[in-house]
Parts: sequence; C-alpha cells; structure tokens
Amino acid sequence: MAQTISKEELHHLAELARIKLDPKEEDKLIKDLANILAHFEELRALDTKTVPPMTGGTDLRNVFRDDTERENTNQGEGTLAFPESENGSLKVPRVFEE
Amino acid sequence: MESFHDLTIKKFHDGLLAKKFSALEITQAYFARIKEKDKEIDAYLSLAESSASREAEAVDVAVAKNEEIGVLAGVPLAIKDNILIKSLPATAASKILEHYTAAYDAGVIKNLKREKMVFLGKTNLDEFAMGASTENSAFKTTKNPHDTTRVAGGSSGGSAAAVAAHMAIAALGSDTGGSIRQPASFCGVVGLNPTYGAVSRSGVIAMASSLDQVGPIAKTVEDAALLFKAIAGKDPLDATSTDADYKNLTTPRLEDIKQLTVGLPDEYFIPGTDQAVAKEVEVVIEKLKSLGMKFKKISLPHTKYALSAYYIFVPAEVSSNLARFDGIRYGVPAGSKRNGTTLSDIYLQTKGQQFGAESKRRIILGTFVLSSGYYDAYYEKAQRVRTLVKRDFDEAFRDVDVLLTPVAPTPAFKIGEKADDPLAMYLCDIFTIPLKLAGLPAISIPTKSAASLAHGELPIGFQLIGKKWHEADILGIGQFYEKI
Repeated sequence: MAQTISKEELHHLAELARIKLDPKEEDKLIKDLANILAHFEELRALDTKTVPPMTGGTDLRNVFRDDTERENTNQGEGTLAFPESENGSLKVPRVFEE
Repeated sequence: MESFHDLTIKKFHDGLLAKKFSALEITQAYFARIKEKDKEIDAYLSLAESSASREAEAVDVAVAKNEEIGVLAGVPLAIKDNILIKSLPATAASKILEHYTAAYDAGVIKNLKREKMVFLGKTNLDEFAMGASTENSAFKTTKNPHDTTRVAGGSSGGSAAAVAAHMAIAALGSDTGGSIRQPASFCGVVGLNPTYGAVSRSGVIAMASSLDQVGPIAKTVEDAALLFKAIAGKDPLDATSTDADYKNLTTPRLEDIKQLTVGLPDEYFIPGTDQAVAKEVEVVIEKLKSLGMKFKKISLPHTKYALSAYYIFVPAEVSSNLARFDGIRYGVPAGSKRNGTTLSDIYLQTKGQQFGAESKRRIILGTFVLSSGYYDAYYEKAQRVRTLVKRDFDEAFRDVDVLLTPVAPTPAFKIGEKADDPLAMYLCDIFTIPLKLAGLPAISIPTKSAASLAHGELPIGFQLIGKKWHEADILGIGQFYEKI
C-alpha cells in the first residue's frame, strides 16, 4: 500500500520545518501528499541497487580559489534589508526564554 | 514611429542607429503600453520607470556622440521577480519578500547593464518559481494574452506574457522544470533553458539549486540567441558556472544545420497528448525535413520516472533553500513582540502566515523525503533514478544530435482548472522535466508565428533538446525554422 502521512507525522514535519499550519490546511495537505506519494510508488518497480546516485547538476570538479584578498560585495547594504536595527546593531527578538 | 508590436532586438537596434526613434521614446512608449494593457494581463509586479528612463537616456547620449553601441543597448527588457536588480524590489511573488529591496545586482543583470540594456520592471511568477500557471503568486494571476480566461503558464508567466503582449521586447525568466519553456509555449514566444552551468545564478533567488538556470524569453530565436550570448559565462559568485566555447550562436550556417540528425523519442509521442499539439508538431517535423534534415526514432526508456524523481529531490532542495525565509533574516516577523514570544514562535508564525500553499507543500514534502527512515526510499532512490534518466540521454546522443518533442501535452489551460490539484499541475511538465535531470539545454519555439494563428487558436510550442553546451545546434535549427 502506498505511503501516507498521518496527522501526528504532519505535526512533527511542520514543527521541524517551523511552519504553523491551521487545521483546514492540514486536511488538504494530508490529502495532497497522499496523492503525490501514491504517484511516487511507480519508482518501486525500478531496480536501482547497482545505479550510483547523481548528487548534483554539474560535472565540474571542486577546486580551491586562491587564498587572496577579495573585495566584499554587499556587506553593509545587505544589512539594510534587515527588518529592525538600533544604533547600528541588528535587532532580533529574544532567543532565550526567561 | 513604426508600430513597436513588430519590434525585435535587431529591428530596434537598426532603428536606433538610423535615428528613426530614440531609446527614451521607445522606453516611454512601452510604459504607456504597459499602463494601458497590463490592467488586463497582470504581467508586471513592479515598474522601474525612473531608472529605465535614465538607462535609455544614457544610450541616446552615446548615439548622439556617435559612440559605438552594442546590439542590445537601449533594448527594454522585463525581468522575472526572482532575479535581483539593485535598489528594485525582488519579491519572488512571495508575501515573505513583499518589502524586500535588492542590495546588489544578479550576475546576469551585471552582464546586461554592461550591454546598456533598459529594465522596465519585474514580472510575476509562481511563488519562488514553484508552479506552472502563476496561480501560486501571492499577488496576482497573469492572464494569457491570447485568451485572458487562460493561464500564461509558469512559473515565468509574467515574463512570457509581457513579451507576447508587446509590453517588453524580451525578458529573462528562470527554468527549474520547465518554467521558461512552458509559459513561452503557452504565450507563443521563444524560451531558452541553457545548459546547467552556462549562466550565473548569483543573485537569483534559489529554488532547486541542482536544476535552476536563467534564460531568455523573446519574440524570435535570434533575439533569444543574442540575449543568451550576453548572459552566458563564468561568474566567480556562482561556483557551478563555467565558460563554454560558444560559436555561431547568432550566425548559424545552413550547411552545418543540415548535417544534424534529429531524434524523435517514442515516449514523447503518446496518446495523452492533445490532438492539436500532436498535429502541430507533425507539421514542424515535415517543415524541417524540407530543409534537408534527417530524422530518427529513438527511445528514452526511463522518461516516465523522471517526474516522480524530480518531485522528490526538488522539494528536498526547496526545504533547504527556503529555510532562510524566517522573519528574521528576511521578511517581516509575524506575531506580537510581547515578552514571552520566543524566536521559535516567530519562525512558526512568519512561515505559517507568509508562505503560500505550494511553498508549504514542498517544504513539508521535502522535509519528509529527507527524514530519517524515508531518506533511502525516497531521496536516494530519486537520485539513482536521476542517473538512469541522464544515461538515457547520453545513449540517445550517440545516435542523434538533437531531440524534437512537444513542450507541453496541451495548449494553455483555463485559469482555476488545475489550481486545487497539485499533482495535475505537476503533470504539465512531463516533457520539460526529464532533460533538466541531465542538465541539458532546450528551447521552446512557437510552431506558428502569432500573426498566422487563426482567430481563437491558441499558440503551441515545440521543443528542441541539445547536447550539453550545444546551444548553437538548437538555436541554429530554430533560426532556420523561423525563415521557412
């Protein structure tokens, strides 16, 4: 039988992804994911034991760049997009609970 | 001034040099057209009138001083809103980036600024380029200029519709599973998905990094070739980009083209395809035979598995790439700032409220296929299938030089028709996805020019798939096809 995702599993996945779902969304998601996972079943018929996985899009080999000074392109301006700042510091909500 | 409906990059350049018009006049004419027409089409998310006027004026000054200018100088372009242009909005059609302004230029934009191109504005897309209709945009649905009750396709629907409705001479889009070629096919324009690594993705909002590529959408294959030539090349800010030795991209020779053998893959000529699509593609094959091209039937046996593999590893990559949109680094933090609101609450609320349904679906699905216990059965399996799909193409290209297929199984569908059924939407891309797994270039070309469509007839595209780094083959065939 095709894989399905239960409500409890969905809650766990949503927690891992840090997404708060409302109950109506949950029902639709469970249904949609069941349909999509059922479609994936066709892959089971394929024997891939001896096939190596393809891990990316490129045939290029990794190389190291020269360890020299580089101009920084956007530090400063990049921080302008930050939602809140105060006296030159970026403001974030509290991380530690009291 | 002649009607700008007929303007191509080449005609614009000739007119500019002959002083038939100024770049500023044309830019202003496009903004006038956009203001009138885009109420109906909804192709643009934002306009850049003042910067575009400055860019056009700079070209006019150069022309007045008799300075040498390139063929792209002053050409008004539309840019998909997941590509950054410094100081302009870049929303990726997501609520979470509604107020974001780009701090730097994408690599492709740097190249086009060097060519002195004019950027009219940013175009609509499915949120983060995930969809096949622009219905997943958080802001609006782009309509098909040939029938406004139908979708423009997606995800680069805004760019394709802007070009088709004469609201830009050409545009840039991005293609992960068909997002340039399918909307080009639906709107009756040309769209090129380059070889993976041909074009820089620096400054392009990432969706699935092992597949994303930027490419041109244009009125003619020649225009697409001119734009591709300008954006291709290595960028130190994208480690996957590389310099290829491209020759004859814009000046193909018929004697070279005639030497190419075209493969027709059995798996792409299937009963589920719309009659009109099948018939139009047959006509294209006959026309190309009249040029003296040879055809050969071939097989790509793992084609039917490509879609499932794609929809496993793409959501996996999405769940990783979209993690940064959390209300802290990007987006407006949701929820109250009262004491007691934790960082985790802010993440949960921001993502829950500001991501659209398809983004959430892919993030959850991606989290699932990567999770312990399911990783081998889904993610790793999909990567092994990707190898099989790639081997099919390697094998086929031993016998033939290019492949010819339909772009999509149907012409543009009705707005709303597939909006609630994600699987039906995914199946729109069955012909455009497989080659992406192998990193190949492909182009969508209208079977007929817009002018020769009968009243009420919808545009249909055919697809040419090339070997890696062989854009010149598919662009060359396309340029001769348009002259038949």
